[in-house]
Amino acid sequence: MIQSEFPECTTFGTLMRFALELERVAALVNEELASDPSCAAGAETFKALAANHRARVALLEETRREKLNEAVLEPISDIRSADYVVATDVPNGAGVKDSAMFAAKVEETSARFYTDSARIAKSILHGAVRIFERMAKENLSNKAKLEAL
Amino acid sequence: MALLDPVSRNYGRLKNYVNGEWVESASDKVLDVRDPATTDAIAQVPLSTKDETRAAIDLAQDAWWSWRETAPGDRARCFFRLKTIMEREYENIARVISQEQGKTIDDARGETRRCIDNIDTAAGITTLQMGYNLEDGAASNIDEEVIVSPLGVFAAVCPFNFPGMVPFWFWPYAVATGNMFIVKPSEQVPITTQYMFKLIDQAGFPPGVINLVNGREDAVNTFFDHKDVRGISFVGSTPVAKWIYKTAGETGKRVQAQGGAKNSLIVMPDAVLDKTVNNMLASFYGCAGQRCLAGSNMIAIGDVAEPLLKKWLEASKNLKVGCGLDESSQMGPVISAAAKQKVLGYIQKGVDEGAKLLLDGRNIKVPGYEKGHFIGPTVFDNVTPDMAIAKEEIFGPVVCFHRMKNLDEAIEFIHKSPFGNASSIYTQNGRAARDFRYKTQCGNIGINVGIAAAMAYFPFAGYKESFFGDLHGQGKDAIQFFTDKKIVITRWF
Repeated sequence: MIQSEFPECTTFGTLMRFALELERVAALVNEELASDPSCAAGAETFKALAANHRARVALLEETRREKLNEAVLEPISDIRSADYVVATDVPNGAGVKDSAMFAAKVEETSARFYTDSARIAKSILHGAVRIFERMAKENLSNKAKLEAL
Repeated sequence: MALLDPVSRNYGRLKNYVNGEWVESASDKVLDVRDPATTDAIAQVPLSTKDETRAAIDLAQDAWWSWRETAPGDRARCFFRLKTIMEREYENIARVISQEQGKTIDDARGETRRCIDNIDTAAGITTLQMGYNLEDGAASNIDEEVIVSPLGVFAAVCPFNFPGMVPFWFWPYAVATGNMFIVKPSEQVPITTQYMFKLIDQAGFPPGVINLVNGREDAVNTFFDHKDVRGISFVGSTPVAKWIYKTAGETGKRVQAQGGAKNSLIVMPDAVLDKTVNNMLASFYGCAGQRCLAGSNMIAIGDVAEPLLKKWLEASKNLKVGCGLDESSQMGPVISAAAKQKVLGYIQKGVDEGAKLLLDGRNIKVPGYEKGHFIGPTVFDNVTPDMAIAKEEIFGPVVCFHRMKNLDEAIEFIHKSPFGNASSIYTQNGRAARDFRYKTQCGNIGINVGIAAAMAYFPFAGYKESFFGDLHGQGKDAIQFFTDKKIVITRWF
């Protein structure tokens, strides 16, 4: 079980904190699956996805650093964190197919989170919209790769 | 709760930074710097003596000519280095600001970005400081040109509400144009400046170019008394801004003195209400209402009053008040016990004047921060233009709700205020927006924007008693403030 702490999204800061936590968890999920002997056939894909999620942390931190303009910062009230919390009880020895489905679910939830965050960012921080949309697109592409395993 | 770790829990006794060295002040006057959320002492700030301030000015003056002779491109490189360092330290800077000022971490991150924006802008000095010329400008075969030159030593006296950003409205432009600079931070929030100077120290500015003197009135008076200080930038209250302006006139110094504010936000009947309310929350409650651009009077035009008020109250009640370093907090504390008492006094005054207190933030309790200087969102209805709470700067999270018939009445109300810092309108009607922009006598106008804060490459200042001076902070105005124009007329025989 991966330890995780997903905050309530009440501010841009917590929205970004949630996103960072999603990426951290997604990376760990894929790393664990890559080291599971029953998933050997998908190890390279899991490793690549773990690396992708690690790299996205830097992108998110850069977004928080460069796009944040306190003059248009507004409280966030219309995104319920519980809707986007991902499962962290990574299966062990479940085989590549089921394990890939588990990871695909993480990608799917993340895609939904970023799509909804992009909608919110449109009114508070337009500069972050493109980044969130790009993240969501990437999640869906990752999901497709996993489903193909 | 997403509580972030502070950079340090105690920063010790702060030092001055003079002539490229960290110097301990010998002053026996030392104040505690307190975290407004916990009220814990997190540093001690010495109030530098007149002699110490004078010495800093003398050393800066002595080093001036060498910096003045440094090519603008070389000066710019110091700023590029500083930018790189500040980007790396971005999160730490924001946490220091949040910890000592109390504002939310997002507010503090935004402030940090504005600091860096000013560094970015000043780094363009090679084009910003260019003069101009005209061949045969004086007569045939006699050319004329304008050279934009630095003047010497400048100083800034800074406020408590933006410990990071305000010094950056001034010093980067002064230094980039070839001047020397002394920053005196507010004694209530000196840690951010101390932290910034550690970064400045790493950026390779030559000794004496940029200096930090902690202190209060002795330091400020010395800036005026010293013949080598060419100008002073100030941000603070209107009474002090007036004094600064007057004293600068008497002592022959350049001055830009930004004072107080009483900003009105007008909501027209056609405003997009949900977005308007959300945007105004940041204006009225951001930085706990301690922004010079904060909303204070909310003016509802016509029949928008009731639906607006309903939504506003609901949103205000839901606002999470807490420690700034808790990422989920939407509003932090005010700066000090004295500031809190002042705001509470205004709330009582509003009650006594007959305004209807719909939401009372006086007795808010923040779990874990019981001693903190918190005031919850406070909303008065039935505020009339003659009430003190409608006219005077409260500098806290207090909303004075007015109902008016039309835009003209609202603009007339704004014009009766002695202040003229900012005002905003929320509307989808271009004509109303245009009329508002055209007629309103304020330095910063927002159209569907509640905090009309100028970016680094635009000038920032208010009108009337919100600003005393001519040239504003930031952007091209700052370049002009810190330079003089030299005319050269050339003929070759």
